[in-house]
Amino acid sequence: MHHYVKKTLYVGVPTLSLCFAALTLQAGEPSLIKVGFNGDIRSTEPGVNRDENSDAFIMHIVEGLVAYREDASVGPMLAKDVAISDDGLTYTFTLREGVKFQNGKSLTAEDVKWTWQRYLDPKTQWRCLPEFDGRGVSKILDISVPEPLKVVFRIDQPNGVLLATMSRPDCGGSGIVHPDSVAADGTWIAPIGTGPFTLGQWKQGQYVELNRFKDYTPRAEAKPDGFTGNKQAFVDRVRFVVIPDAASAKAALLSGGVDVLPDVTAMDEAELKNVAGMQVRISPVMTLGGLLFQTRDPLLGDVRIRRAVALSLDYSQMVATLSNGLSAVNNSIIPTTSAYYDATAQKGYPHDLEEARRLLKEAGYHGQPIKLIVNKRYPQMFDMGVLSQAMLQSVGVNIVLETMEWGAQLERYQSGNFQMMAFSYSPRFDAALSYESVTGNKDKEPRKVWDNPKALVLLREAQSESVAQKRQALFDQLHTLMLADVPMVMIYNGTSIGVVKDGIEGYRSWPISKPRLWGVSLAATSK
Amino acid sequence: MFRFILHRLGMAVPTLLLISVMVFALIRFIPGDPALLMLGDMADAQSLAQMRSSLGLDHSVVTQYLIWIKSVLSGDLGVSISTRQAVLPLLFERFSVSATIVLVAVALATLIAVPVGLFAAWKQDSAMDLGLVAGATLLLSIPSFWLGLLLLYAFGIKLGWLPVVGYVTFADDPLKAITYLVLPIVTLTLVEFGAIARMARASTIEVLRLDYIAHARAKGLSEGAVLWRHALRNAFAPTWTLVGLILGNLLGGIAVLETVFTLPGVGRLMVDSIFARDYPVLQGCLLLITCIYVFVNLCVDLLYPLFDPRVKL
Repeated sequence: MHHYVKKTLYVGVPTLSLCFAALTLQAGEPSLIKVGFNGDIRSTEPGVNRDENSDAFIMHIVEGLVAYREDASVGPMLAKDVAISDDGLTYTFTLREGVKFQNGKSLTAEDVKWTWQRYLDPKTQWRCLPEFDGRGVSKILDISVPEPLKVVFRIDQPNGVLLATMSRPDCGGSGIVHPDSVAADGTWIAPIGTGPFTLGQWKQGQYVELNRFKDYTPRAEAKPDGFTGNKQAFVDRVRFVVIPDAASAKAALLSGGVDVLPDVTAMDEAELKNVAGMQVRISPVMTLGGLLFQTRDPLLGDVRIRRAVALSLDYSQMVATLSNGLSAVNNSIIPTTSAYYDATAQKGYPHDLEEARRLLKEAGYHGQPIKLIVNKRYPQMFDMGVLSQAMLQSVGVNIVLETMEWGAQLERYQSGNFQMMAFSYSPRFDAALSYESVTGNKDKEPRKVWDNPKALVLLREAQSESVAQKRQALFDQLHTLMLADVPMVMIYNGTSIGVVKDGIEGYRSWPISKPRLWGVSLAATSK
Repeated sequence: MFRFILHRLGMAVPTLLLISVMVFALIRFIPGDPALLMLGDMADAQSLAQMRSSLGLDHSVVTQYLIWIKSVLSGDLGVSISTRQAVLPLLFERFSVSATIVLVAVALATLIAVPVGLFAAWKQDSAMDLGLVAGATLLLSIPSFWLGLLLLYAFGIKLGWLPVVGYVTFADDPLKAITYLVLPIVTLTLVEFGAIARMARASTIEVLRLDYIAHARAKGLSEGAVLWRHALRNAFAPTWTLVGLILGNLLGGIAVLETVFTLPGVGRLMVDSIFARDYPVLQGCLLLITCIYVFVNLCVDLLYPLFDPRVKL
């Protein structure tokens, strides 16, 4: 008996001590989630000197008056409600009470006015200034503060996409920041927002961190909803680790170097979903992938040739290959996840090789080479080009692939100097914004692929209109017109594939694709 | 020797000036606009013009060059277009990472490869020689990124001994810093081992055929003494030139390895700056690489007489 007591003491006491020490350590250690980023952020200034990663990062720190919901519709964020006047020219935002900045000061309508005046100052170089200074649909004439928690925006033209534009992540969500974010001489210091996280350590080229904002004032909703809803943070720190190489990022996930990879390829998804301890989160996104035509090209100026190209592509096969079966065919510029994606938008081009051959013959096409620009930075654009080339060969269209570096391709896109181009537009979260990205006067904006006066009129109406039913009718007309004109062939919307390790709870992919770490917890810390 | 150094440094000045012009011009010939890359597919003409103006890209190329060279001469390499960081401290920070890996890896590779090459040459045409040559050729043929990924998979994922991604500075945590550097250093050592070993073997074989080696042997010197005291010194001279070239080449950036192991080195900085058309950073990187080449070659030349008594400076 004495022997067993001694043995128990010898083994048990140290074991218990170790367990206790481990528990104490665990209780004292701040919780941390590591997320893989394919590149470093460019700056911490919302909507200024930014890229996709910068946008995703800053949306954790700042919040705008309104924000995108999970379904890409717009809902209030810092605003309690938004009232639009009957003539559509006055927007009154009533702010939520008790919202605090990350420096402890309360949010007021004056802060909103100050932030917006700064955004509207050309010196700030805010990316979205053209949308609000009259170059876009409307101009902000005046911002006034009638009450401490009420701010009024007056615009010169009715604008059906004003709130959607304000919410855009590339605009930094028009995030409201405290004036202390900026030095006396106007230079940017660091963001002091109202979001669930504050700016942590930024080791450039390595990682950038967020710290939980302990006094965050969440909205009353039970759950997060896109960029709005209840955005309470559950982890103490989030670290975005810069891993440019996809294979290294996968290795990091498998070895525990990161806990979340927000954007993996369809090929990696097929592999990782079978790995124990990994969970895949898939969502369609609103990127617009397709083939662009230069309608002023001597050859492609003939709509019959463009239509023949559209009819020659086997979209089901192409999209299945491009997305590993995760995306659906979409010949409309309105993304499948949009509320405006209706039965009309679902109408596309049939796969009709006979008709394609007839059109080509009628147009007098006899195998002249057509250059199709692709790049290898974005493999899906390259693959789209290769598949198109193969499919178009079957009707005798002679596609010559011209592979370019992305920067060079973007320059050709901007100048309109191309015949055909495999291209993917960054997500537009409103159908009018989608049409706006491709429609315009080529003399003024050579990058616009669809120069049709009738389409421009319809688009202007859709941009000014705010009644959903009327907008839907306009979008239906635009889609029908676009199918007839064939200035481009929309093929599909992308898919966001996130992979998380077991134990990470609450992480979701969504149509806007950006990772969101509020509402996410580690299994041990979530309770 | 002092005159030699002065002469070489003097020659470096026009070289650097010429290269600065070439670098500046060539970068601007690359299609792609940094302002456009920053604004993306939504850029309108006015926004683009404003952005170009704010980046100083609306001046003529000649004016841009004169502004830049004036800054360079006053020790200022400008500010990054992408991150708005000062280029010079950024280069120093990133170069220290690349230099640590390259210097350690090349030193290790040389220390291992030279005796191996010497031994293989001594045992020329034996099974041991064939095995060593085959091994060296194999290592020489393996792409560094693939070897890196293999090591990463084996030691990072399967065995879990070493971290897979990231970087910690020695100032932050010396022990942790070493764990992050082991895999890239081992990868680079193995890759460079092949080239150095083959060169050491080839030059030793040549030296072992010379009369003075036969003379040494005839004097009754042991094989060890013949090899280490007489053959190595002469055989090492060409190897040393190769080591110098490798050093110059690698110090300019090991972009692929830095990408695989997510190290914030100068190679990755250069690749990123090419993609972003970050002209000031790219110009800074290329200028740094040129300076490194000049410096490394100077060092190699200065050390050459140590290994080859026939060379006088």
